[in-house]
Amino acid sequence: MPRLDPDLLRRLCAARDLLEQWDEPLPVEEIARRVVISPFHFIRRFDQVFGSTPNRYRVQHRIRRAKELLASGDLSVTQTCFAVGFESLGSFSALFKRCVGTTPSQYRRERRLLVQVPGLPPTTLIPGCLTLMACLPRDAFRSSGEAHA
Amino acid sequence: MKIKLQSIMVDDQEKALRFYTEVLGFQTKHDIPAGDYRWITVVAPDGHPDVELALEPNVNPAGRTFQKAMFDQEIPYTAFEVDDMAAEVARLTAHDVVFTTQPTDAGPVTIAVFADTCGNLIQLYQPK
Repeated sequence: MPRLDPDLLRRLCAARDLLEQWDEPLPVEEIARRVVISPFHFIRRFDQVFGSTPNRYRVQHRIRRAKELLASGDLSVTQTCFAVGFESLGSFSALFKRCVGTTPSQYRRERRLLVQVPGLPPTTLIPGCLTLMACLPRDAFRSSGEAHA
Repeated sequence: MKIKLQSIMVDDQEKALRFYTEVLGFQTKHDIPAGDYRWITVVAPDGHPDVELALEPNVNPAGRTFQKAMFDQEIPYTAFEVDDMAAEVARLTAHDVVFTTQPTDAGPVTIAVFADTCGNLIQLYQPK
């Protein structure tokens, strides 16, 4: 029965926070040890709660942070690579392209062209549902209404 | 003025669409490319057909801070009503969904809480 008691949930949240630290990345086994869960159960439970294995979660988190840094335009691709904990520009670029579909330098070039408001996150990072509505076809809501008329 | 659209922040729209349709059993209403993201809404087959839930990409760092704080404090982001709590819990459990609160008597309702694998806790409630 996959029930999580509050203590186990708290330990998984602590593990998630450890995975999000990239200044001193810890091996997954070490994180499991720190939160006192066997490695097998840690990977399985983490996946059940957060929808990714710990390794995959860490990669996704780094790529997401890299996108933020690249879009803000303050750091170069190389600086971004090191800032999110990668040691090799080649592996960072390859992984970024696999996850995002474009290279980091292409992403940075395109996103920096968007209008930036000082003091606010880049517009590409504020895709609230209300702003996404503006991107929809003109009949998106009309056809939805008619479907249930 | 009508309440027709509710949204929930998700860390990955593709993963969320799979979970909210294949596991929870909602149906896709819209799935339209919208810039870097997608406009995805789902509806409940046994709920009001005109009320949509948007699976909103949680990309804004402020949104992630909020979502994480809610999760860490074990506060459900939203709640869905069910007619048969025991059957729903059994069905979701068979899909490997983890419950942080098993069905519990809470006065006028029975509640249960599960992780949606997209960064949220969701409460189910069955009115008595």
